Amino acid sequence: MSRQLDSETVAPARLGVFGVIIVALLCALLVRLWYIQGVSPETFVVAAEANAQRTIFTEPPRGRIYDRNGVLLVDNRVIQVLTVDRATARKEPDLVTRLATVLDTPVDKVKSAIEDPRQSPLQPAVIAEDVSLDKITYIREHAGLFPAVDYAQGTERIYAQPGIAAHVLGYVAQINGEDLAEKEALGYRAGDVIGKTGVERAYESVLRGTPGRTVLEVDKRNRVVRVVSEEPPKAGADLYLTIDINLQRAAELALANGVMTARATYDSDNKKNFVAPAGAAVALDPRDGAVMALASYPTYDPAVFVGGISNADFAALQSNGAPLNNRATQGLYAPGSTFKPITAIAAINDGVIAPSTSIRDTGTYVVQGKCTGDCDYDNAGKTAHGVVNLTSALTVSSNVYFYALGDDFYQRRSQLGDGIQDTARQFGLAETSGIETAEATGRVSDEASRKALHEKNPVAFPESRWFVGDNIQMAVGQSETVATPLQIANVYSTVANGGSLYTPHFGLRAVSPEGVEVFKYQPTVKRTVEMGPATRQAIVEGLAGAVNAPSGTAFSAFAGSGLADAGWLTAGKTGTAQGLRKQDTSLFTGFAPINDPKLVVSVVVEEAGYGGAIAAPTARQIFQAAAGISPTPIRTSVVLD
Amino acid sequence: MTTFQTPSDARIVDLRARFRWATDEQSFAGRIDWVLVGLAALCSAFGALMVFSATRFNLQRANLSETYYLQRQLIMLGLGIIACVVCTLVDYRRLLSFAPLLYIGSCIALLAVRFVGAATGGTTAWFQVGPLQFQPSEFAKVAFAICLAAYVANQRGPFTAQRLTSLLVLASVPIGLVYLQGDLGTSLVFVAMLLAVVLVSGAKARHIGALFAAAAILAVAAISLGVLKDYQIARLTVFATQTDKGIGDTAKLTDDAYNLAQSKKAIGSGGILGKGLFEGPLTNLSYVPVQKSDFIFSAVGEQLGFVGSAGLILALGALMWRIWRISLRARDHAGLLLCVALLAMILFQTFQNIGMTIGIMPITGIPLPFVSYGGTALVACWCAIGLVLNVGARRKV
Repeated sequence: MSRQLDSETVAPARLGVFGVIIVALLCALLVRLWYIQGVSPETFVVAAEANAQRTIFTEPPRGRIYDRNGVLLVDNRVIQVLTVDRATARKEPDLVTRLATVLDTPVDKVKSAIEDPRQSPLQPAVIAEDVSLDKITYIREHAGLFPAVDYAQGTERIYAQPGIAAHVLGYVAQINGEDLAEKEALGYRAGDVIGKTGVERAYESVLRGTPGRTVLEVDKRNRVVRVVSEEPPKAGADLYLTIDINLQRAAELALANGVMTARATYDSDNKKNFVAPAGAAVALDPRDGAVMALASYPTYDPAVFVGGISNADFAALQSNGAPLNNRATQGLYAPGSTFKPITAIAAINDGVIAPSTSIRDTGTYVVQGKCTGDCDYDNAGKTAHGVVNLTSALTVSSNVYFYALGDDFYQRRSQLGDGIQDTARQFGLAETSGIETAEATGRVSDEASRKALHEKNPVAFPESRWFVGDNIQMAVGQSETVATPLQIANVYSTVANGGSLYTPHFGLRAVSPEGVEVFKYQPTVKRTVEMGPATRQAIVEGLAGAVNAPSGTAFSAFAGSGLADAGWLTAGKTGTAQGLRKQDTSLFTGFAPINDPKLVVSVVVEEAGYGGAIAAPTARQIFQAAAGISPTPIRTSVVLD
Repeated sequence: MTTFQTPSDARIVDLRARFRWATDEQSFAGRIDWVLVGLAALCSAFGALMVFSATRFNLQRANLSETYYLQRQLIMLGLGIIACVVCTLVDYRRLLSFAPLLYIGSCIALLAVRFVGAATGGTTAWFQVGPLQFQPSEFAKVAFAICLAAYVANQRGPFTAQRLTSLLVLASVPIGLVYLQGDLGTSLVFVAMLLAVVLVSGAKARHIGALFAAAAILAVAAISLGVLKDYQIARLTVFATQTDKGIGDTAKLTDDAYNLAQSKKAIGSGGILGKGLFEGPLTNLSYVPVQKSDFIFSAVGEQLGFVGSAGLILALGALMWRIWRISLRARDHAGLLLCVALLAMILFQTFQNIGMTIGIMPITGIPLPFVSYGGTALVACWCAIGLVLNVGARRKV
């Protein structure tokens, strides 16, 4: 063939062009390939792994909870969990019906459990927890009827001291959306159990343990191909509390006794029995702030939350006296006369009086100097106590003595400022105590708090100014001062130990499953309150008289208690706080033994009358339990405040 | 070959004889481009290994023989080599004279498959013969190369618009038939072959410009008139819209976008050196769709990394270079054009297939030459090699 045709002549040159095109296209491939594999492979590696790997988590058994002496309070129970393979269950509706029949639940419930989006699609669906052994046995014996049905073991909370210390322990339940959003970074997932209240919540990080983590390789259809790695769950650490379970039980019993006694008592002022809807009791160790017992009435059984609680049951727990509320740390009460030691210490520290200063108590105090409106303030029942000094004023609960101090502080306010209120705040009122669980802050009544209340609610608080009468009322724990029973207990704990305001606490130590102590509580002095020995002496003597002198407001409540003989001579103060359109709140706070205080007990019973009538004998029963004496009954003899 | 008695002489002559087959005046076997044969064999063997690696895990899991697909591919490779030998031995000039017959025959086969063929994924392109599937469009590509070469080389004088038109009319029949099967990709292979032949046979720049303009108008018309089905448009556009970032979340992707994302993830996660043969989780766990055939390159990329996949591209490039070299030395214009058409076929399929798996070309169902699983395609590729060897063995002396 000759090259006479144009087409053939140009062919070699055109082949060159074609060659360039080939090289260009292949280079384009290589460049793009280098970009994917050489420059930015991390993007793809991460995406590829996310593709093929799935992680499933296994909840670890929670740590157990013990009291300070190692008595088991909360344990875990192994439960049988029934599971079924989803694909099989979807294909065989008869299987679902049979399961529902055996489990004695509606078919729809089984179906919704199978399709529950919270469950991992990589594991068989959990259709029932805590299945009884006879049902498991039945299913096992009829395996042919229940294909793809399997059993797994789980754990759930079991309470070794049923119904005791509910407010201390709190309860656990499935994590809610709010907590989940907050704790997702910690590895919580929908369906996980979490401590909701009490120490279960406060010590969640200690109790929870480390979830097991299994990384699975799955194919495109999410079928498990192999296990890439497997870390078994690590059980949570065991927590030891400061609570003494015997004292706790005694406190709960005493509080219930006090409430029941109040309800059986006729209130002549209101022409009906006392309502006594609720109450609280706290026992602290004044030497380190440890909570020895804490009771709140009404109470509940945390076991009702195990395995899930119905909406109706939960709603019931939130009404009907709101038993979930911990009134010892969240209930706010006017401290009444239990406030008086604070006024006394403020007056001595500010030089208003000396510990020995006496006045004549005629039963009525008349405001000195300029006064308009209500200028007369009476003792309870207008009782004239005669000449009283600080000690006897505390013993007999002379309001007049403290009215005078409130008046003095008011008259000299440009010089002394809010001396009483400042001292109250020094003692930890109007601030959180720092205990591990939820608590209320409270309030110390002064000009600023009055103004704030008025601005917030002008109808309930029509007056925004602060008058001498307010300061007088405030000095005896009335006015708008409110505190939790725990805060009041902590005031007396500070008096008892000579001025150290401890941070109260529940946690003592925590021990990991390997026996390593992962947490140990160190007592913390939050603040030291100025209190001279003579000051403390005068106040303690006054409080000792209130319990032990025949003229004392709590004398009859403690008479015949046997505490003195047992070396638990007690000092304390009753309080009867008046509320608007409500019966009086009964309060008592005290400590024992006087010479070496080991225990502070604070009791508040709502709408139960005089402090000496209900709260004082309730506290006495708790002291008796601490002293190892069998509690004597709560009497209902009328005691003057 | 002569045998010699004297040992020393025999050694010298024998050595000379061995080297002589590489020179022009040597025997037929001596004029065979053994480098090309070697490259084709290398790519095929590599492909069989990749098919094995991409299928064994799932076969194991299904309790089937893990070498099931490997065996089938090796059998087809054997058939391909036999076909190659046949295509080499029959003088290509005689084959060219059968061009009209081949043209009519392949058009009939392409038409017939529409009525008696088996359908997969919107494409009707197979004859099912017992357990074997036979894809006429693969052989039609080779036949098309022969017809193009025969027709264009047969015409005399400079390249004119008239010649171009008649060529287009003739070519449009098989291209149209393949397109009507729903196999857009293969019809584009025909177009690429046509373009290459038009380019090399001396078309003027304006002819080529006109061709591209016509193609553009056709494409726009096809999309706006709804000739292209939605799935086809989706496949064609997904590569352009998908970024490399954010391909981790595949939950909301369409099928094609999902395929592309998985393919890119597999290849990208291979990095420089790859995860090792048989060590690719995405390959093993069937994340990448139609992996043994269309997306075989993702198995290469994941397991052998840049080194392995660039190596494969270079091997295919070397193979193309050998074909290009033979076309340059062809005895006649027809031989040259035959090689060019076959070269264009292999080039376009390589670029299109690999480009698709790494997201620079649209998704089409074109196999990677020599590597993808698929018997007909493999045999057709070896036929093409045979024809090129044929031209090379009968080159200018």
